[in-house]
Amino acid sequence: MIKLSRRDFVKLSSAGVMATSMSGWFNVLASRAAQTGKKHKSCILLWMEGGPSHKDTFDLKPGTPDAGEFKPIPTSVPGIQICEHLPSVAKLMNHGAIIRSMSTGEGSHGRARYYLHTGYKEGVGGLVYPSIGSIASKEIGDPNSPLPNYVAIAGNTYGAGYLGARHQPLKVVDPNRGVENMRSVVSSDQFNHRVGLLEAMEKSFYREYQADSANAHMTAYQRAVTLMQSKEGKAFDISQEPASVRAKYGNSRFGDGCLLARRLVEVGVSFVEVTLGGWDTHQDNWTRVKRNCEQVDPAMSALINDLKDRGMLDDTLVIWMGEFGRTPKINKRGNKPGRDHYPRAWSCVFFGGGIKGGQVIGRTDKEGATVEDRPVSAIDFMATVCQILGIDYNKELTTPRGRPVRIVDKGAMPIEQLF
Amino acid sequence: MRRWHHACLAAWIVLYGSVAAHAAQQSAGIPKLNAAQLAKAIDQLIDKRLAQEKISPSPLADDAEFMRRAYLDITGVIPSWQKAAEFIDSQDPNKRARLIDELLADPKYGRHFADVWKQLTFPLTSTARRYPDEPYRQWLTAKFNANTPWDKMVYEWLTATGSQDKNGAVTYFLANGTIDQITDSVTKQFLGVQLQCAQCHNHPFTNWKRDEYWGMAAFFMKVRPERTKRGQTASVTEVSKGKPKLPVSAKQVPAKFLQGAEPKLDPNKPYRPVLAEWITSPNNPYFAKAMVNRMWGQFFGRGIVHPVDDMHEGNPPTNPELLTLLAEQFKANGFDLHYLIRAICQTKAYQRTSKPAGNNKDDKLFYSHMAVKVMTPEMLYDSLQSVMGNNRPPVNRGKKPRPGNSARDQFAIFFRTDEGIDPTEYSAGIPQALRLMNSGELNRNSAMLDEILKSTSEPAEVLDRLFLGTLSRRPTANEKQKFLGYIEQKADNARDGYRDVLWVLLNTSEFTLNH
Repeated sequence: MIKLSRRDFVKLSSAGVMATSMSGWFNVLASRAAQTGKKHKSCILLWMEGGPSHKDTFDLKPGTPDAGEFKPIPTSVPGIQICEHLPSVAKLMNHGAIIRSMSTGEGSHGRARYYLHTGYKEGVGGLVYPSIGSIASKEIGDPNSPLPNYVAIAGNTYGAGYLGARHQPLKVVDPNRGVENMRSVVSSDQFNHRVGLLEAMEKSFYREYQADSANAHMTAYQRAVTLMQSKEGKAFDISQEPASVRAKYGNSRFGDGCLLARRLVEVGVSFVEVTLGGWDTHQDNWTRVKRNCEQVDPAMSALINDLKDRGMLDDTLVIWMGEFGRTPKINKRGNKPGRDHYPRAWSCVFFGGGIKGGQVIGRTDKEGATVEDRPVSAIDFMATVCQILGIDYNKELTTPRGRPVRIVDKGAMPIEQLF
Repeated sequence: MRRWHHACLAAWIVLYGSVAAHAAQQSAGIPKLNAAQLAKAIDQLIDKRLAQEKISPSPLADDAEFMRRAYLDITGVIPSWQKAAEFIDSQDPNKRARLIDELLADPKYGRHFADVWKQLTFPLTSTARRYPDEPYRQWLTAKFNANTPWDKMVYEWLTATGSQDKNGAVTYFLANGTIDQITDSVTKQFLGVQLQCAQCHNHPFTNWKRDEYWGMAAFFMKVRPERTKRGQTASVTEVSKGKPKLPVSAKQVPAKFLQGAEPKLDPNKPYRPVLAEWITSPNNPYFAKAMVNRMWGQFFGRGIVHPVDDMHEGNPPTNPELLTLLAEQFKANGFDLHYLIRAICQTKAYQRTSKPAGNNKDDKLFYSHMAVKVMTPEMLYDSLQSVMGNNRPPVNRGKKPRPGNSARDQFAIFFRTDEGIDPTEYSAGIPQALRLMNSGELNRNSAMLDEILKSTSEPAEVLDRLFLGTLSRRPTANEKQKFLGYIEQKADNARDGYRDVLWVLLNTSEFTLNH
């Protein structure tokens, strides 16, 4: 399918080129919905809210001061070791790469989350920047898909900024309940009657006023109604998965979220973000990190295995990360101490997406306190993700008032070893 | 900006003879026009421009179209079905001018303008979110409702000190808590210029150098936002000593007005009053123009200079004489916002239909027909609220109510495009459409429908009132036939049929667009 920008689409529609959409546009939905699944890469971002401790997950420092309680275990890649509480992920390490040299400089939750989602520091340049999910929606999402191109599960992610409400994430608060407001509150007969009357009103208003905005409004409604009625819309219903599959993902909320993410990517959604909270472990670090890992391990490994089994892993990038790491030193907060915020050196993990797996990028010193090799900044990280997904990170997008803004700020160096 | 300034002066002299021969002379030699006179003068300039461009204007809007637009533009919410019927049926030849006055006197005017200015001056950054926005909203609402002259209001705004609960205006300095944020905001919102590029490099298409930026920033060097500690209200002071934390791009230069003088600053006194006095002076080359252009953009969907806050030589006005006329009269009339709005809304240009006519379909620059604007999220929320009554419009699930996080704020965030989207562009997508169609809140009993059904059971009358209460007009013959036919089929459950009709009306483009 020829890729049209939103503006092109509005223009073409108002010029009558897409005349079919003006007559009976709600009636052709079911047939039209069959032709999705355009080939583009997708991304599943597993967002570890609060900032996971790198020294207790993917960058262990056994035998050094403040190493913590956890033991390293071998992985499927000789020489790479990770935390003992991620045994299933360890077995898949040949498909993944650990970046142990993230160094990003923002140490407060809000600002760091914004920075790692957008690649820009908050408040700079008088703009609100789009998050990576919105950028993917804009750049690789199909504008005419009956599905939204960016879905956020179980978290409050960052939105579309200057890209506009259209690229806002569709939020799923509870993966077991699916998309908010996706079902009609009236019977499908009654809903169809309503939509029929609406269509007539829309057409006559557009005929008189000929406003692009009216056309854009119709398009949004058309896509939403299609989503409600298409078979792809059923992707949001994880109850259709057998119990054994749900058990494989761990039967947790996060596991359900990962399963939903897999279903969405299967029907062509470009970007899915799944949040797992509880990583802000100032206190009681090891109990809590262990509990979190017990959710991550089955969910993430089942996700990667499912993608692999379906031949989708090379086209789907899975990222595991939070907003920063945690202090190499153990703090002195009471009898159950923890670690505090630490953006100077930390880890994130990539799986799939066609990267070269089975490697570690970068290195921290023996205490996990400073980066000794290949520091990866927030913009390096963003450029890397873009490059994996096939997005030109040097491209300039345009704000609604015509200001050109680079997708990723100048000076970024993607991690070459991954390609 | 200077270049066309001189050209305009010549044009002004020509105009002066034709419209304002009897108007009182001011000392500066500029005749002071009342609102009706200004409206006429505006129309002359617009018609002249249309004639030059050989574009035909659309005819005036009918009463219903004008009314809905005036309600939304002045008070931010659609009229009730009763108010709509009353206005449409009124035989008073002056009813349009009367309505404008009535709406300006409505307290919803202040609330609407507070929404507009809060959105412009309170960025939703993680820093700003720490502060409650309610004191700010209240301060803005009160100032707008008192019709405080714009120069006076901005002076108070820019020199605000004290704690948030005593003086809501300080919220501006808390929410824009760094030197670059406040410099960007003040120059953009009150002077209509985008100086922020010059923070780090010389501006690409103006002669603003980095020194200009940091010269303006220097006036804010002594401002100290004091953050909230538990149980304490945040406040703003202007201290005599020390330097704030500066970004790496900072340049140390003496305080200097934008493209103007370097004032002598007394280091023992606060600096902001010196800046505020310069900004709000009638001699300031930016201040009045920035506001009249912004206001024009708000009412017409497109500034005379567009975007409204990007005024520079490379971005000329489409009608320079018009911009000068508005700015001069705004000053001559004591920066009176009601005066300015009254004049704008009384013009033929404002009262034209938004339906294209003749050859003007593609004209977006010369005001041949009214632009179709998209309701702001707050307008949409309040208008839905006025229909649903106590059944509140949908809220985001899983949010705790806290300051700045009301159902209305959350709705606004969900529907908003950050970074001042063009007011004529519809930017919502699937999530928003799903919410409007299927949320329980918008499918429950509507207080308006209940009230209408108490007032009549005659289907044609019910239908009339549903149209009046949503689209602010009566149904056309065609619509009447179609909808009454539908209701008739539902005879066994008429209320259900009316609810379907209401659902349809609330989900139309016509409802969500300010046409």
